[in-house]
Amino acid sequence: MIERAELHDAAQKAFPADQLRPDRKASWDLIAEMGWLLLPLPEDAGGLGLGRDAAAAIHFELGKVLSTAPLLTALLTVQALAAADDLPDQAGWIERLTAGELVTVNLLPADLELTDSGSIRLSGTLPCTLDADLASHTLVVTGDLAVLVPLDGEGVALAERRLWDESRRLFDVTLTNHTVAPELVVARGAKVQTLVAHLESNLQLALAADSLGGATAALDMTVEYLKTRKQFDRPLAMFQSLKHRCADLKVQVSAAEALLWKRAADENASSVDFGALKARASDVYRIVAEEAIQLHGGIGLTEEHPINLFMKRAMLNLQLGGSLDTWRELAGRQALEQYAA
Amino acid sequence: MSEDTHLEALRGEVRAWLDANAPKTWREDYKAMNHAEFADAQRTWFRTLVEGGYAAPHWPAGLALGSGRSLAEQKVIYEEMARADTPRLLLSFVSTYHAASTFLECGTEEQKARYLPAILQGETWCQGFSEPNAGSDLASLKCKAERQTRDGREVYVVNGQKVWSTMAQYADKCLLLVRTSSEGVKQAGITFLLMDMKAKGVTVRPIEQIQGDEEFCEMFLDEVEIPVTDRVGAENAGWAVSQATLSSERGLTLMELTYKMRGALARIAELIRKNGLEEDRGVLRDYGQLVTRCDEACAIADQFLQNRIDGIERVGDASVVKNTYSRVLREYSLLGTRLGGIDEQYRAPIVYGDLTTGNWMADFMNSYAWTIAGGSEEVQRNILSERMLEMPREPKNWVL
Repeated sequence: MIERAELHDAAQKAFPADQLRPDRKASWDLIAEMGWLLLPLPEDAGGLGLGRDAAAAIHFELGKVLSTAPLLTALLTVQALAAADDLPDQAGWIERLTAGELVTVNLLPADLELTDSGSIRLSGTLPCTLDADLASHTLVVTGDLAVLVPLDGEGVALAERRLWDESRRLFDVTLTNHTVAPELVVARGAKVQTLVAHLESNLQLALAADSLGGATAALDMTVEYLKTRKQFDRPLAMFQSLKHRCADLKVQVSAAEALLWKRAADENASSVDFGALKARASDVYRIVAEEAIQLHGGIGLTEEHPINLFMKRAMLNLQLGGSLDTWRELAGRQALEQYAA
Repeated sequence: MSEDTHLEALRGEVRAWLDANAPKTWREDYKAMNHAEFADAQRTWFRTLVEGGYAAPHWPAGLALGSGRSLAEQKVIYEEMARADTPRLLLSFVSTYHAASTFLECGTEEQKARYLPAILQGETWCQGFSEPNAGSDLASLKCKAERQTRDGREVYVVNGQKVWSTMAQYADKCLLLVRTSSEGVKQAGITFLLMDMKAKGVTVRPIEQIQGDEEFCEMFLDEVEIPVTDRVGAENAGWAVSQATLSSERGLTLMELTYKMRGALARIAELIRKNGLEEDRGVLRDYGQLVTRCDEACAIADQFLQNRIDGIERVGDASVVKNTYSRVLREYSLLGTRLGGIDEQYRAPIVYGDLTTGNWMADFMNSYAWTIAGGSEEVQRNILSERMLEMPREPKNWVL
């Protein structure tokens, strides 16, 4: 775990806690410079060969500062393409991606229509495609096919959907009879399911790490506020009713974080396990953010004070990659199977 | 042999041993027992574990058959116990954890040599810490001990009352905290003694709990003589010794309990099937959430132990583990009670055994022991907010 500790340190230095929502372009340049795009790649592909927990450590730290950079999608797709040996010019893609070209992906399932009459054509909408304005392509998975779609290609339209959470940018990518180029096929058949499971697990882990980084920062900010704000001739932090609420939040954040690192290191964890982790982590984020605003009092309701930014991102994280209810249900089903009579 | 191969080999050994030796029908058996029969059944299971070498895996090497296990080995053992759904050792719990860790950390060589082997031979310890007016505020205890010479022997003469002493009615010995001085801060005048439960002047009265069990007792001490040699640590330095006693339960115990709780999720799966709720999405969601919460409790207990081993434990870490476990246990038993329906409302016979009795209403009621005993949830919140989050203490300007 030495490597992980070093990554936390490096990320905290690059993105200090007092600068929330750092500039998107400057962040992206800094991220490339730090070599974080190489983290999950195997060493023989020029990467650092680190485990899932390394990427999670970076997402955790970037979650603390409500990062605006497209690292979440970048790490997801670079990992996916590194695992996809059907892709012609795989090496070229990896080289370009680690140098800063971005391939994005939709973070909620798409409803696509596929026709194959010699050439494959796709129609439909890819919802919640993150950072599509910065990306050259998006990774599309449908049935037993995974392909790259150029975002400036024919039959491709982007529409930004403005969010309450302005630290992230989501787009609807609409495909109208878009013809897939054979050299952009990433995987076919059974390999697609492996790719999807991989992508799903990494997405859920990234969102969980982002959530708990954010929850940690929001709780820290709240405790600091209570220590400085005085009412009734005392700092608010001296009132037991408020202290106990902060203690309860600390317990929840700590326990969820322990699960995050344990699961990140667990090679046998299923994508449902990661989804359940994300559900819990984003729920803890929501609980902390809710309490944080309340504990800040009137100032917590203002746009001027940054605590509201955490709440907006927490609520978005609850939805991205599938909802709380979805993952809880799947986790329940999985456990029922595990304890089959 | 690599570490993994070694652990898998151990897992196989433990599993095979449990298959051959673990009581299979204990849930049903316990329900038909009276309190004394329950204590006997517990003694038998403990003796079996001692013979198998699994009674004290957490003790240092050389002290018992199977002691000196690494943390990873202990985990394997607990996981297998959870998997085999063995009864929890309520009766010998204070002996193997609290008493043992007190002797190991603070006892004289003589005390270690006398008491540790005796524990494995079945000598049972209880704890005389809490008092009617000193529960979570243990430093306020008043049970008084005076040093005297009686019949040529140096003794402490003890007078006072203790309460919430788990299984004291079956104990041979007691870890006793007494006040020997009222000078200085209230923690300063406390002394740690070892009391024989058969000594003259000791009266034990079991207290019936809300679920009908008699898990804890009150003790009345009237002119009880305790030899000065049965003191642990120096006179008036008992507070530090008691911290060693109590800290022993926070790591390994909670790891054992969380893994048991994780394993016992199978009991809720049984309920869901029994009620034909396999496709009820609301129930599946609640179950899925509980599964993740149990995983969380296991993860934080694991992390706590690892930090302790690495020497990086922080103040408040134990409180995080305790408050997590006790809350998840409440959620667990509440879901069981809910899914169990009206059946759980029919009163059961005594159902000792903490979270895994399978009588959900009893488990639900018993879960309160974890939010109250061993430093209430609220006391843990104070520790967390003041020590870990560094929020200021409340001013001490309260007057009666």
